[in-house]
Amino acid sequence: MWETLAQAVINGLLIGGIYALVSIGVTLIFGVVKIVNFAQGEFVMLGMYISFFLATQFGIDPLVSLVVSMPVLFLAGVLLQHFLIRRVLGPNDMPQIFLTFALSLLLLNLSLMLFSANYRTVHTSYSDAAWHIGGLYIPVAKLIAFAVAMALSGLLWVFLHTTDLGRAMRAASQNRDVAMLMGINPNRVFAVAFGTALALAGAAGSLLMPFYSAYPFVGQVFVLMAFVAVVMGTLGNVMGALVASLMMGIAESLGIQFVGADSGLIVVFALLLLTLAFRPSGLGARRGR
Amino acid sequence: MQTSGNMKWLWLAVGAVVMLALPQLVTSSFAIDIFIRILLFSFIGVAWNLMGGYAKQLSLGHAAYFGLGAYTSTIMQVNYGISPWIGMIAGGVVAMLASLPIGWLCFRLRGPYFTIATIATAQVLMLIFLKFRDFAWGAEGTTIPNLGSAPLMMQFEEKSSYYYVVLGLLVVGLWITHRIEKSWMGYYLVAIGEDEDAAEAVGVNAPKIKRDIYMISAFLTALAGTFYTQYIYFIDPATAFSFNVSIEAALVSIVGGIGTLWGPVIGTVLLETTSALLQSWLGSSVGGIQLTVYSLILMAVILWRPTGLIGFATDVYHRTLRRKPARA
Repeated sequence: MWETLAQAVINGLLIGGIYALVSIGVTLIFGVVKIVNFAQGEFVMLGMYISFFLATQFGIDPLVSLVVSMPVLFLAGVLLQHFLIRRVLGPNDMPQIFLTFALSLLLLNLSLMLFSANYRTVHTSYSDAAWHIGGLYIPVAKLIAFAVAMALSGLLWVFLHTTDLGRAMRAASQNRDVAMLMGINPNRVFAVAFGTALALAGAAGSLLMPFYSAYPFVGQVFVLMAFVAVVMGTLGNVMGALVASLMMGIAESLGIQFVGADSGLIVVFALLLLTLAFRPSGLGARRGR
Repeated sequence: MQTSGNMKWLWLAVGAVVMLALPQLVTSSFAIDIFIRILLFSFIGVAWNLMGGYAKQLSLGHAAYFGLGAYTSTIMQVNYGISPWIGMIAGGVVAMLASLPIGWLCFRLRGPYFTIATIATAQVLMLIFLKFRDFAWGAEGTTIPNLGSAPLMMQFEEKSSYYYVVLGLLVVGLWITHRIEKSWMGYYLVAIGEDEDAAEAVGVNAPKIKRDIYMISAFLTALAGTFYTQYIYFIDPATAFSFNVSIEAALVSIVGGIGTLWGPVIGTVLLETTSALLQSWLGSSVGGIQLTVYSLILMAVILWRPTGLIGFATDVYHRTLRRKPARA
């Protein structure tokens, strides 16, 4: 019993690291640019396909292709912010929600047309490897993904807290108007926030590739999880999103273990609805928000 | 824009005659099928538009009510032999009641997070219907027993009969929208949609108004669910709670003109015609092409014409009208 429980917690924690990369991206964009990127999951999908093609065409290990997928998606984010998102920033919710939503639909269905609905996998030397510690089973590929995800989150935290640009982004997320008055260039800050968020999604995609199949709808799984984590972790709060993502991973895994294989999502959504009912501003809410 | 009363009635009469005669003039079952889809999604769009358009509560979870309507009437019909005409109203009531707790939760959030919460509720309902097999057939779904010609059980031999049923639904939806638009509630909804805090500050009871309009919107959407199940003789969680229903409900309204009486109808005509043309040119072999085109149209509308096609048409109308001596 305890072993099953511990195993479920470990499984959840490891996949929670990937959820964290996606949620941190969503919350970063929400915090700084004040819009919700409905297409975040589709960038995870693109990250996966980039790694898939690099692996099958050039034999590059998915973990190594991180150095391609992250910069490519960073650039995509900057361009996206510059050419599309910038045009709908304003007090009106409708264009913002439906522009990124349309982008999500577009990327998803274009991939469906270009790559077909087939599941694509990359088999690496460590895909099936696992460590046995006591009675517990720790898959190496997931452990690497978790470790890299945590390292990237840590790097982001250091960036946000120690560099001028990072501080400017945090300032913009706390109070945009005052930040602008202090001479922060909004377009630059927004572009970096968008680029960083997409780079994280791309990283999530590459890290998933050794143990997860790529298919056009794959992003939907992660983006729903990320939205729930971002609401639970208090909107715009990077640390909150990280902690909530790990909790969601664990909750989902416990749901699968103890309620049934198809119940992971029900447990997660139940958590969301409970959060909304009892702590609508999220678990990490500060006073006065 | 003041159209004289007589002109308005003339247009309505012409429209009514054309709509009633259409299935008699066009007999191709492919074409009638497209007309039915256009009317059905116009109706769903009209239902969505009441809350999403006027009050700007941008839901992407209306499939929840579509599915509840479809399942309520189907369970009543298959298990208890109750006519779907009664089941349809029952489904509407179930959806209305379900909208109370769902709204209570989702309205705690605003803007994009309201949208996300509505997606989540529709997904939860789909998962529940997938999971509990003995309750409603689980993932396999069920077919509706075909009784041949049985108008009392909402089953017809002629496709044109389905056309008239859904046309009736659309007329009801438009009439309700028209009545609400002209009432105090319509003004309150628009006030909430413009700025909820400001509306509350001047005494609009926003939570109550939002709750009421959500109930009406859910009720109407559920009617569409029952109709659709009767039309295709089949139900399963994936079609009843399909995310595509939620998407199209919002899309047709935004493309046509959000928060306008005719917006959802015009949007549906454009999108469904485009989709039908694509299908006949390319065949249905290319998966994803329909939504690719929809998303491009949606992006174009948002970037260049946020008021939708109606806004565009009104602009053109006023520009050409300005040349004539001004009346107002």
